[in-house]
Amino acid sequence: MSLPCGIRNYTYAEDMAIVRTRTHWVLLIGFLVLLFTAPLYFGNYWLGVFNLIGITLIAAVGLNILVGYCGQLSIGHAGFIAVGAYTAAILTNRLGMPFLVGLIGAGVVSGFIGLIFGIPSVRVKGFYLAITTIAAQFIIIWVINHWGYTGGFNGIKVPYASIGGLVFRSESSQFYLIIIIAALCVFFAKNLSRTKVGRAFIAIRDNDLAAEVMGVNLLYYKLLAFFIGCFFAGIAGALLAHWIGFLNAEQFSFTESILYVGMIIIGGLGTSIGPIFGVVFIRILQQVLTVNLVPFLENTFTMLPAGFATGVTPMLFGLVIVLFLILEPRGLAHRWGLFKSAYRLWPFSY
Amino acid sequence: MKNKKLVIMVIICLALLVAALPIFSACGTKAQPGQTLKVGITTPTTGPAAEKGAPMGDANLDAFKYINEELGGVKGYKIEVDWIDSKYDAAQTATNVKRFMDEGDLIFGTSSSKEMQAVMEIANRAEFPGLVCFNAPSLHRPPQHIYGQTPDYGDDWTAFATYYLKNIWKGPGKPKMALLLLNNPTGYGARDAARAAADNLGIDILWDGQVGKAFEHTATTTSETEALTRIKAMNPDVLYISSTPAPTAVIIKNAYELGMYPNITIGCGHASFTKKLVDIAGADIVEGVYGVFPTANWGDNVPGMAKAMEYAQKQHPKDVGNLDYITAWAQSLIIAEILKNAVNNAGYDVLAKGNVDSWRAVETKGIQKLKNYDVGGLQGPVNYDTGDNRLSKSLRIFQVKKGVITPITDWIVAPLVKYESFDWFGK
Repeated sequence: MSLPCGIRNYTYAEDMAIVRTRTHWVLLIGFLVLLFTAPLYFGNYWLGVFNLIGITLIAAVGLNILVGYCGQLSIGHAGFIAVGAYTAAILTNRLGMPFLVGLIGAGVVSGFIGLIFGIPSVRVKGFYLAITTIAAQFIIIWVINHWGYTGGFNGIKVPYASIGGLVFRSESSQFYLIIIIAALCVFFAKNLSRTKVGRAFIAIRDNDLAAEVMGVNLLYYKLLAFFIGCFFAGIAGALLAHWIGFLNAEQFSFTESILYVGMIIIGGLGTSIGPIFGVVFIRILQQVLTVNLVPFLENTFTMLPAGFATGVTPMLFGLVIVLFLILEPRGLAHRWGLFKSAYRLWPFSY
Repeated sequence: MKNKKLVIMVIICLALLVAALPIFSACGTKAQPGQTLKVGITTPTTGPAAEKGAPMGDANLDAFKYINEELGGVKGYKIEVDWIDSKYDAAQTATNVKRFMDEGDLIFGTSSSKEMQAVMEIANRAEFPGLVCFNAPSLHRPPQHIYGQTPDYGDDWTAFATYYLKNIWKGPGKPKMALLLLNNPTGYGARDAARAAADNLGIDILWDGQVGKAFEHTATTTSETEALTRIKAMNPDVLYISSTPAPTAVIIKNAYELGMYPNITIGCGHASFTKKLVDIAGADIVEGVYGVFPTANWGDNVPGMAKAMEYAQKQHPKDVGNLDYITAWAQSLIIAEILKNAVNNAGYDVLAKGNVDSWRAVETKGIQKLKNYDVGGLQGPVNYDTGDNRLSKSLRIFQVKKGVITPITDWIVAPLVKYESFDWFGK
């Protein structure tokens, strides 16, 4: 971590600290206070958006571990989220298990399914591995649609999440549940990157042959990356199931898988803050374009041809992503790093 | 250095603006109490279902414009429409409905069953009433706060089967019916209805190997000769197809080539029985094929057609001839009627609150007071019956005659099927 001028690390603990200076602590505590008091000044709609951001963030963090840290391209993440969602639904609805059992079970089952589909990663990589993960997406959705226990095409209801006697009925209670789990997942991912496992992932990403020569067990670490990435997807799926309350396989389309890859690219692959930036940027952009911009254009510019305003949304969305990839391919995390560096140097740039 | 400072300041301002957006919208002024009646509409105007969603969104807004400008609103109160594109995405639809609840909308409408499936638990838990254009049994069974504007795919089968038995089947005993269905809710709705009601109606269903397993096809099929050959070996009297136009055309052509048709009767669900089917298959191939549809045909001589056609031609000429436009136009008229009932029976003060009390009033004093509302002949009579959240249960039977889809019956009521009483339902 680059530190402000005059700050030195004198102990190992200081060197390893994620939050290092007093300013960092103040900013972090301030942010957490703002975050946890959000239900006081946002209505159900924006809390719903934040809940969706939280759920998406958990899945994106998992995908970032798999793709960003370990370099295993996966374009079937929505399928693994679906596994988690339906596992939680079956455990809580059909088998009457508590929410926490459903949550952990969703992660474990999704992790194991990811592990199975990750086996080809030992032999293939890059686009060839991407094809196997695309196959995973379609196979999982086909099974869900044709297995009676999941409700098939009719779907399946999911009860409210509850822990002990506390039922998470309201949007604000669900907000706290989702944000706490998301924070724990982000914290886990941040620390994972600093451990032996994280360094092995990065070594495999950078040069898997060299990593193997150095003694990194490729089979073990690649499968571990798939398990962890899909475990996170399963947790996200379980939370999504309890948040929406009804599951249908069409909610986990191939387009969603591509969107997740887009999020972590825009945010910054292989960084711990990248998924946060990517998810927040994409979800807020979707809402601003769909809910604010389009009705504004429809109502203000009545001379526009019919359907023009709604057509602007996908055009702008695509344009923003393309511009991003051209102008900042390393993602928002890199731009954030540059901003921090400039801020630290300002006004002395020399 | 100056540039860097400027860039940093611009970034900070942009970040603050984005962060403040929610506060601006959350603090937006609500409609003045008692002046407007707020309604939320979400349609898949972009995304994979845009072909159907775009004309439906146009029709919803055109109809509300007509109601406000030419009819003076509802009991003198203008209808204020919150319209948001759902993009045919479950998460987007969920946030849209939460926004409708936050904004104090009194009722919300969606186009497709998939959109409503994504939000029905949210709406049901909050007791926020919703009206869906294209219905499915899972939405209204068991009945809660979601209402179907039109009969579902299971009702299609029930109406056709009832008509077939009364008017076409002349043989002794039970007729044998084969089902060749699309492998998604469009097909499975008909399968579930057949499984639930065939025995009572007196029809033998020819299942594919085991009870409850119908012959299936995909939306991209190019030949169903194999399935039809197996069906032909079972000597069916009637073949029912619940699918979309392109696969239905393929099936009818293959049945013609195998010599099955016109020796047997063929009936189609409303998802496929449009002019597009005739265009794709050819008028001579589909001559005599029966089908069901829940709305009037474009240009039919019914009282409500002229105004719908006028607005389509004026506002959205590309939607002229599109039956989805008619369906969504009718949805807006039904919503206006619901609000009229609610205003009459519950009063403005209750509705102006825009909260759960208003929603209960809209449901119990508005929706559940609908009795034989005639939507200008655009669809069957709209009626609420206790325990049945299908607001219209009527369909018409059509037949292709000289290449034209021609109505041959008046509105037929599809009986209610309580799917939840069957242990196989939803499995």
